[in-house]
Amino acid sequence: MPTQPLPDFSSSVRLKYVKLGYQYLVNHFLTLLLIPMIATCVLELVRRGPEELISMYNSLELDVIHILCSSFVIIFILTVYFMSRPRPVYLVDYACFKPSASCRVPFATFMEHTSMICEDPKSVQFQTRILERSGLGEETCLPPANHYIPPNPTMEAARAEAQLVIFSAIDDLIKKTGLQPKHIDLLVVNCSLFSPTPSLSAMIVNKYKLRSNIKSFNLSGMGCSAGLLSIDLARDLLQVHPGSNALVISTEIITPNFYKGNRRDMLLPNCLFRMGAAAILLSNRRRDATRAKYRLLHVVRTHKGADDRAYRCVYQEEDSDGHCGISLSKDLMAIAGDALKSNITTIGPLVLPMSEQLLFFFTLVGRRLINPNLRPYIPDFKQAFEHFCIHAGGRAVIDELQKSLQLSAEHVEASRMTLHRFGNTSSSSLWYELNYIESKGRMKRGDRVWQIGFGSGFKCNSAVWKCLRTVKTPVDGPWAECIHRYPVDIPEIVKL
Amino acid sequence: MEVLTTLTIVILLYSLYLLYKSYKLKCSTNCYLVDYVCFKPSPDRQITTRKCGEIIERNKNLGLAEYKFLLKVIVNSGIGERTYGPRNIIEGREESPTLDDAIEEMDEFLNVCVHDLFVKTKISPRDVDVLVVNISTFCPAPSLASRIVHQYNMREDVKTYNLSSMGCSATLVAIDVVQNIFKSGKKSLAVVITSESISPNWYSGNDKSMMLGNCLFRCGGSAMLLTNDPAMQARAKMRLKCLVRTHIGANDDAFNSAVQKEDDMGRVGVHLSKDLPKAAMRAFTENLKRLLPKILPYRQIALIVFHVVKQKLVQPDAKLNKVVAQINFKSGVDHFCLHTGGTAVIDAVRRALRLSEYDVEPARMTLHRWGNTSASSIWYVLGYMEAKKRLKKKERVLMISFGSGFKCNSCLWEVIRDLGDGDVWEDCIKDYPPKTLVNPYLDKYGWVNEETEETFNREERSESFKNSPW
Repeated sequence: MPTQPLPDFSSSVRLKYVKLGYQYLVNHFLTLLLIPMIATCVLELVRRGPEELISMYNSLELDVIHILCSSFVIIFILTVYFMSRPRPVYLVDYACFKPSASCRVPFATFMEHTSMICEDPKSVQFQTRILERSGLGEETCLPPANHYIPPNPTMEAARAEAQLVIFSAIDDLIKKTGLQPKHIDLLVVNCSLFSPTPSLSAMIVNKYKLRSNIKSFNLSGMGCSAGLLSIDLARDLLQVHPGSNALVISTEIITPNFYKGNRRDMLLPNCLFRMGAAAILLSNRRRDATRAKYRLLHVVRTHKGADDRAYRCVYQEEDSDGHCGISLSKDLMAIAGDALKSNITTIGPLVLPMSEQLLFFFTLVGRRLINPNLRPYIPDFKQAFEHFCIHAGGRAVIDELQKSLQLSAEHVEASRMTLHRFGNTSSSSLWYELNYIESKGRMKRGDRVWQIGFGSGFKCNSAVWKCLRTVKTPVDGPWAECIHRYPVDIPEIVKL
Repeated sequence: MEVLTTLTIVILLYSLYLLYKSYKLKCSTNCYLVDYVCFKPSPDRQITTRKCGEIIERNKNLGLAEYKFLLKVIVNSGIGERTYGPRNIIEGREESPTLDDAIEEMDEFLNVCVHDLFVKTKISPRDVDVLVVNISTFCPAPSLASRIVHQYNMREDVKTYNLSSMGCSATLVAIDVVQNIFKSGKKSLAVVITSESISPNWYSGNDKSMMLGNCLFRCGGSAMLLTNDPAMQARAKMRLKCLVRTHIGANDDAFNSAVQKEDDMGRVGVHLSKDLPKAAMRAFTENLKRLLPKILPYRQIALIVFHVVKQKLVQPDAKLNKVVAQINFKSGVDHFCLHTGGTAVIDAVRRALRLSEYDVEPARMTLHRWGNTSASSIWYVLGYMEAKKRLKKKERVLMISFGSGFKCNSCLWEVIRDLGDGDVWEDCIKDYPPKTLVNPYLDKYGWVNEETEETFNREERSESFKNSPW
């Protein structure tokens, strides 16, 4: 894929910051007014000295009724205030699907199958070149139906894959958290390219015998960023249902989506997409606060669909022979960068420390008033986050984001290693990356994680989590048996 | 002294301000239906009985047994002469639908219906904060929600959700999503789009349990505008009072009552099992158990409790049928919007709730005029009531829908002002109810019942169809 330079973080960003500042000032006007008043009062009190204060208190002649009434009023106000605040959303735990070794697709297998299925030798050559530069390893997995020559994408096989990946992930989650299926209140499932009737959410209700008053939602067609969309929906639901928990399933079913034609822009998904699933348990119960791993701080969603190029950049269509596939346009990197820029301008003020925001603001002012040639300041997101989980969409995506956010190799290691070990598992890749960081023993209490997902539409979604307790190794999960071998050095080109 | 007083007054005033803010937030948690628009496809997409016959005839996999079965289904379906189908099926390409066919069908709906909604409500697409789309059996990438964002140039921070494969009850799931987002208090505008994709889902085999879908489903859709802004209350049509969702997927029979799968020849279709009516009634009963305490007046509830306790004391082992017979379901509801799944569904609900013909007339007429448009059917039923000027201020409308899984969702709306907008029923409301709902297919294809396997000759019959006067 051609590498295009990402656009500058300047012109449209400045207006947004000014607007945000103005909004903040006006929205919190009364609160901000309170600060000088309280300051004056405190100073006055300090000036008066303790003896004078005690004599003042005695002169008030407060009796029991007065004290009781005022305490009651204060407690009432405080209760109303705390109850109107948004409920915290905790991530109790999560589990990722670990594919068995029998599903592995080493390079040799992939190339052999491709050369037997593909009639056009040029397509075979193209896919070889893509695989060489993809950053994938030898242990990525495809579902059983894709191991047939040619692949056998029946509905039954697709359902079998869905049952395998989803049920394994949920079983692991139940073992880890002691979750009782009857206690699940909300269920959100996202799977982009496979939506049978009844839905995958109904399939889960049936398998685990969930309650009849469960609120289930099945999202589809929303691309690789749909995992964070589901988290957003679960968060909104948890605000309305007190004392509840939500099970979120993120997956992508590969079986029905094998592309049989020869168009190059549609052959890429065949090379990159692999089997995976994640099951996440969210809760807003206070008692889960002690055992939860993370707390959700922010979710920011950006939709660039209004722009033609962005809308068409990941597009499902039929080629001239009638084969259905997903075409990835050459503009993908540029559009991803643009979407990220928009997302950052919203998330920046929420997460960046005051120092970075002030620096950005002053550089902006400086450029406008003093010297237009001053270099625009790109906020240092490493100050706001300790860990980064960038969707493992492909090597180029990770490279570009590393460059634009000025991240070190260690920051993007989780993304690169996930791409190497599991391939592009679509919406669940962010959870495999988080599991990598935990397995390496790097997740400490108080650390903040930034998950960034990109997807068709074109969407860029971010979630910010805060770690509530240090995660001890060894961590049970898909990385358990191989974490000691990582990180590996991934060459630019693997000669096949 | 003055300092202390000032401090107390300041804190008190700020606390009152916080209380006021909390109160305002609480006021913004209502869900108002500002307006809705149903889709009327173009006249060249109408499927008459004759057209139905031609389409079925084209399927070389069908024999006499299947013809008889289809005749029985179509005659009993309650579907009339003016329902609409997708272009690829009308033009003879039902066996090989392409992605473009499905997208074209969706585009026709989105271009007309969504546009009409914005024009009618005078809202700009850029003011929309939430977009929820539910189209069950078709989900391309990018999603149809993204397609709408693209077409109407919506904002970057619009919250989109694309629900899929949630069956004929999905429209209420979409309303549930919107309702939950509204409860956060922030004033928002939400657009809900509901439809079904028929083009890619024609079943070309001969498994009887899978052919029902071909006969019953028709093209339709609706777009709704909802808000939680109290300032828009005056122009809104209805307010949501409660919404109850029931999912009995834990029961294997219910879960397998409607399953999309391949038949013995590898053709994909939706298998509807014989357990479907039983599953529907079970889901409906579960739903009513949770719905009735929320919608019945207190007097009714007290009466029911009294009868239950009385029966338990007198005859502890007897069933509660007599008590159920005492419940007046119409005491808390004035109008019933039933999902038009078929005549059987409407009759079953009518019997269960002891409704009159007047109560189920909107559902029957919708089934006759539009067919089973899946999730959007309840909006056509609502449109009928409005066109007949039945909806008056303070009256309550109950929507009930069923879907694969098996789900039963229901919600209660309160009418805010007298309604009388005809919308898609405008041109034909005066013809309803018609004198007869008997299907003309019965006369035209009655020959099937007289034929036997020995006398049935396919080519000869096919020729005689082509030469027949109708």
